[in-house]
Order: sequence, then structure tokens, then C-alpha cells
Amino acid sequence: MSAIFRCEGLGKQYGGVVALQGVDLELERGRVHGLIGPNGAGKSTFIDVASGRSQGHGRVFFDGRDVTAVAPGERRRMGISRSFQKTSIFPALTIRDQLDLAAHGAGGGDATEIAGMLGLADVLDRRAEEVSYGQQRLVDLALALVGDPKVLLLDEPAAGLSVAESQALAGHLEEIAARWNVAVLLVEHDMDVVFRICHVLTVLASGRFLVSGPPSEIRSDPAVVRAYFGSTA
Amino acid sequence: MLINALNGLVWGSLLFVLSTGLVLVYGLRRVVNFAHGALYMLGAYIGWAAATQFGFLVGVAAAGLGLAIVGIALDLAIFGRLGGRHPLITVIVTFGVLLILEDVVRSVWGTRSYAIDPPEVLAGVVDLFGAPFPVYRLFIVAASAGMAAALAGWLRFSRTGLFVRAASHDASVAAMCGVRTAAIGPMVVGLGAAFAGMSGIVAAPFLSINPSMGSEILVLSFVVSVIGGLGSFWGAFVSAMLLGQVQAFGTVWLPELAALLPFLLMAFVLVFRPQGIAGTEG
Amino acid sequence: MTASLSLRRFLPDRATLIATALAATAVWTTAGFAPRVVVALLTQALIVSFLALGVGVLIRLSGLVTFGHAAPFGLGAYGAAWALGPAAPFAPEIGLVAVVLGVGVLFWAIGLVVGRVEGIAFGMLTLALGQAVHVAAGKFRHLTGGSDGLIVDLPRHLYGARTDALQTPFGMLVIAAVVLAVVLFGLRSFERTRAGRLAVAIRENEERVRFLGYRTRALKALVFALSAAIPALGGVLFTLHQGFVSPEVLTWGFSGHALIMAILGGTVALWGPIAGALAFFVLREELGGITTHWLAILGTTLIVVTVVWPSGLAGAAAALARRLGRRVGEGGTA
Repeated sequence: MSAIFRCEGLGKQYGGVVALQGVDLELERGRVHGLIGPNGAGKSTFIDVASGRSQGHGRVFFDGRDVTAVAPGERRRMGISRSFQKTSIFPALTIRDQLDLAAHGAGGGDATEIAGMLGLADVLDRRAEEVSYGQQRLVDLALALVGDPKVLLLDEPAAGLSVAESQALAGHLEEIAARWNVAVLLVEHDMDVVFRICHVLTVLASGRFLVSGPPSEIRSDPAVVRAYFGSTA
Repeated sequence: MLINALNGLVWGSLLFVLSTGLVLVYGLRRVVNFAHGALYMLGAYIGWAAATQFGFLVGVAAAGLGLAIVGIALDLAIFGRLGGRHPLITVIVTFGVLLILEDVVRSVWGTRSYAIDPPEVLAGVVDLFGAPFPVYRLFIVAASAGMAAALAGWLRFSRTGLFVRAASHDASVAAMCGVRTAAIGPMVVGLGAAFAGMSGIVAAPFLSINPSMGSEILVLSFVVSVIGGLGSFWGAFVSAMLLGQVQAFGTVWLPELAALLPFLLMAFVLVFRPQGIAGTEG
Repeated sequence: MTASLSLRRFLPDRATLIATALAATAVWTTAGFAPRVVVALLTQALIVSFLALGVGVLIRLSGLVTFGHAAPFGLGAYGAAWALGPAAPFAPEIGLVAVVLGVGVLFWAIGLVVGRVEGIAFGMLTLALGQAVHVAAGKFRHLTGGSDGLIVDLPRHLYGARTDALQTPFGMLVIAAVVLAVVLFGLRSFERTRAGRLAVAIRENEERVRFLGYRTRALKALVFALSAAIPALGGVLFTLHQGFVSPEVLTWGFSGHALIMAILGGTVALWGPIAGALAFFVLREELGGITTHWLAILGTTLIVVTVVWPSGLAGAAAALARRLGRRVGEGGTA
């Protein structure tokens, strides 16, 4: 199966600091691709460049088409969606209203189903600022899920969630990838989630590609262990 | 032609020194001081009052010192407490300060205009490229250059200057490194205010002293900042020089449009580079 | 799940109906029974409140502060003078509407350009723009009469009614109040449309709105245009009432005062800036009579109010109403 989302040589420099260099990555429909690595490895930078939030080097391809220069708004309408590590929602709007906006922006989609699946059905008419942190993280995710995206770029969706919430989230993501045939990129620190649902892992260290492969191999790869425990991050 | 360019240089120098005050305060306190023009005006009036009694030099010193005190007071009472608040708040608050300062000026000195002659030693003209050019205008350029150089040197080479640059870059990190931002704040704002005040009195023989001089110059200093990019000295320099030339040549070649040229220039720059010449992306 | 298509959401709720009834009664009673001086003051305040409302709408729907909104007000005033004058190519009834729409379109175009500038720089930019218009008005004497201004003669009839009532305090008070009510109603309805919610979303988190698939430039420009059309309408009423227009309506002092009114009244409720305008005029009358330093006092009040009490009069009213157990109006997004 050819990759629906392909990143070639992504890089990013902040002044003299190289945050990311020469990273390739491919996403396939229906599969969850985990991106892991110690702190400062460049994972969030990767997602920012891949999603068009930051300008960097390299090229991004969607369904064979070069979308490197395409603005985030248009990418979303094409079906490339992302969530944010630092919760990025609309505090003063009700959850129903913002999901509705997301649906309209993506060109259609059933926000009620998403809300139901994530357990937000009861709080749809509450303002986002009134619900718990965990629910706000879910709203951030829901905004990305509405509208049948083909590619999902998720930046630490489990950040700040309890163990139970994280496991529930993992279950949802598994279902989304499988049932909707979505290509998922999952940047995560929570190893339980990562090893539970990822089909393949890519490990970054110091902004560079370290190794890639199925979770079982990565787990015991000495280079990876060294990167995590030997690093000063 | 060269005379025009020189006049442009005079204007540009004045604008630059004035704008450095804005940049200083914004860089450290993230406050855009809408009262900056009023500080300039206050300096002109204080300087004038002192100059009529004790001479021009004392006038300049009085303007600088007086405004430094005002600036320190402003930071201690207001700017220093606005940390992290919504930008709207800082805008409104400095606007309130503006109202107060304008009222002070009006109460003390009334609404008439005052004129002030340049000091004897700087009066008169000098022969440049076959045309007479007022010596005082050359003084303005020299004084501005001196002030700018002194500031640049201080920022670059002194310990406190280093602290100011660090704190302007990232206040919380600087604080963690032991920089006493609480003490630096009033100093920097006082300095910025002093610069505004001194440019007011230095400009006075060139421009005149009246109750609306504050608002007029404020708009121009904002245009300089927007074009140059908020918080950047280099941007302010380039933009002030550019604006000075535009004004000088504009009044000669397009007198009808001259007053509107700065705004047209600003609109033009913004279309292509909204963050200004030296501003950072986003 | 998609927002209800029924028009029911546009109908006012009970609290708004009661508030409107009270306001209408207050206006009618004042107009009928208060001394002429008070009515005249109130009329002026209501006309200026269009400007304050415009400023408030911009803050409320986009979080942006403007120091140059006297420009659309003045353009509306001068435009009305032109539309009512001999040089206008169409009938005044059409001309006046065209002026308001024209200012809206102009500011929509300006909004497309300046929308790329963020936060404080935007405020500085609006100050400069406002000044530019002020300077231009002074320059183009043949159009604007320069600093002497223009005297405007009203036609005997406009929109089928006699115009002499427009220049009496009573007449203009009622008309301004009615137009203001219509504008408020329109704004409220707009806020309930998807576009209105999108504007709030952009205000809260523009980046995420873009990542949801929207192009935000056009909508930001639309909000800017809307916030300019309202003062323009006020400017038209100004000219109709005064029969005279001068560059006084374009000074940045005027813009600044409008901003103060919007802050004083608060933008938590749509009607906040109007309350702020009324408060400002009353304060000016009362305090201005006592001391010439009333602006300094105002400045101090502003500093104190902003730092201590950020949501202004409307915010205080909302807080009070909450404590009394009733909701004050709808759509109270801070």
C-alpha cells in the first residue's frame, strides 16, 4: 500500500540551533505510526513542520501531491488534520458550537458521533472553559476528528490525562484508525499508549532520525535505550 | 537636493531618538506607551521653562532629568504592575497617563504656543555646498547621533546594559539568572522617558512648542515603529531615516501629499511585510 | 447537530424584551418631560454612542483596539454632507445609505490589509490611519471646506417624513434611539449566526480556526467593516442633526474618547459602550462644570477602572444581575 502522507527530509532551525534535521516519515491508511524520543528530540517540531504550522526545510506529500506550500486551512479541507499539545480550543464557545464550526470548516461531518464516541455528549452545551482539563483535551482532539479526515497528526493527545483517560483515548484512536481507515501520526510520551496501539514506531534523538520499526523491536533496541537513558534531556 | 537630504537627516535623527524611547520601554516591559508623545511634549515645556531662566544647556539637562523622574515614577506605579496583562490593558492605561500629562501641561503652561531660539553659539548658518544651512540643525543630528551612540554603547558594553538586553529578550529567564528585573524596569523606562523629553527640547528651536505637539509626534513615532518593527532599534533607525527623507523630499516635490506620505509608506510596507522591516515573524 | 435552522433563535428573550421596554420608556419620558438641556445632552450622547459602539464591537468580536474610529464617523458625516448637497448624483435618500455602505466597503478593503498586523501594532496603525484621514480632510478644502467645515441644508423631506424634527433635540433623540435599537438587534442576530460565532472563535484562537479549514482574512475584514459602518451611521445622524460638519469629528481625541466610553461601559454586553457614552457625557457635564481638570480625573479613573475592574459598567451590571439570580441579556462572551 502506498503512503498517503509522506515527509521527506524535514528540518527546522531556530537561529543557530538545529531542532530537526533530515527526517523522513511515511503514513499509511488504517495504521498508527508513533513518533517517540527523549525530550528535546524534535517531535513537536516535526509535527509543526509537517502540518504547516512552522516553516522549515523538506517536502510534504499528500496522496502523491506536493503540499509543502499549501496553507493549513486548505490542507484541512483536503483531509489533513492535527491536534495540539498545548490545548488549543475556544474557551468561550460551547462545545457543540465549536464542533459545529469544525464540521463546517472541514466541509461536512457528524460532530455528534465524535462527541458521543469521546464521551462528550453530556457536556455539549457547556462552554469549553467550564469543563475539566481532561475533557478539554478531548475537545482539542474532537476538533481534529470532525469531518472525516484522511490523515491525523496528533501531538501528545494524552498529555495531562489520567491513566484511565489515556487508556480510553488509546482505545478511541485504535478504533478511528481501523474503522475510518485514517492514517495516524502519534507523537506521545505515554509509552503504555504507544506500545498498545502503534503499528510502527519512529524514534528521534537530538532532532535526527534514530531508528524505525515495529514496537517489539524498538523496545529492545540498545540505541533507543541509550538515547532515552543516556541522554541528558 | 543635498540640502533636502540633509533636512531629511535632521528629521530622521529626531524621529529616531524619539523612537528609541518607545523601543526601550516596549522591549523590556512589553508596553506600547501611548503617552510617549506627551512625555516628549512635557520635556519640551520643562526644558523651555528652565532654558528661559538658566540657558539652553540647563534646559536640556532639566528635560532629561525631569522626565527620567517621571519615567521612573510611571514604571513603579503603573508599567511595572502590568506584567502579563492583556495588551488592551496596557494600551488603555497608557492612554490614561496621556490624558493626565496633557492636563498637567495645559494647567501649568496654558494653551498658547511658545517659541524658543537656539542658543547663541548654535545660532546662525553655515555655508554648505553653496547654500546656507542652519547650524542648529546640524547640532540636532550630532546630538541625536551622540545620544544613540551612548545608548548603543551602554547596552552593548556595560553590565546593566547586558541585563537590559537579556531581560528584553526573555524576562523570566533573565530573572532566573539573577537579573534584578524589578530594579531594571524603572531605570529603562526612566531612560526612555528621558530620551523622549530631551528630544522634545532639542527639537523645540526647530519645531516650536505647543499643546498638540505631543499627539502629532506620537503618530509619527508609531509610524516609525510599525514600519521598523516593534522592539527593534535597527528597524527604528532604518525606518526613521527613511521617513525623514520621505518627509524632506515630499514637502518639496509633492507638497499637497506631503503630510500623507508617511501613512502611505506605512500602508505600503504593511502590505508586503506586516511585521515591519526588522520585526520577527508572527 | 447542525445549528437549528429555525429563526426562533433570533427572537429576543424575556430579559431583553424587558430591558428594551424599560429603555424605550426612559427615552420617551426624557424626551417628553426633561428640560431641553438634558434632552440635548442625551441626543448628543446617543449620536456619539454609535462611535463607541463601533469601537466596542471591534473589541468584542475581534479583541482589537482601535484609536482611529473617528475616521469612519467623520467619513459618514462628511459623506452625508456631500449626499445632501448639490454635487450628489443621486437623491439624498439613496446617497445617505450609499455613504454608510461605502464606508463599510472601504473599511472592509482596509481590513484586508491591516488584518495582517497583530495586537498592539494594530492599535498604532489605526491611530495613524485616523490621523491620515484627519489630515486629508484639512487638505482637500474644495471637498471638505477645510478647517472651516461645511454647512449643510437639509431637504424638506427625507424618506417621506419632514426633516425639521431631525434638528430638534426631541426628534433626533427618538430617531437615534430607534436606529440604535435596530443596530443592536442586528448585531445580536449576527452574533448568533455561524459567522458571528466564527468571529468570536477567531478572537479567541485565530490559529486553530485556520487549522479547522477557514481562511480568516475575509471574516476579520468583515468584522472591521461592520465596526466601521456603525460609526458611519452615527456620522450621518450627526450631520442631519447639526447641519454642519468640521474636522472636529476626525480628531484622535474624539477616537480616544470613544475608546474610553467603550471601556467604561464594558464590552461584556452589547449595550455596554452605549452606557459608557452616556456616563461619559454626564460626567463631562457634571465634572466639567466643577473643574477644568476633568480629563485628568478621567484619565486616572480609566487607569483605576482598567486595572481593578476590567469589565466596566456592563460587567458590573452582569455580575450584579448574576447575584440577583437573573441572566442579563444573551451572548455575554467576555
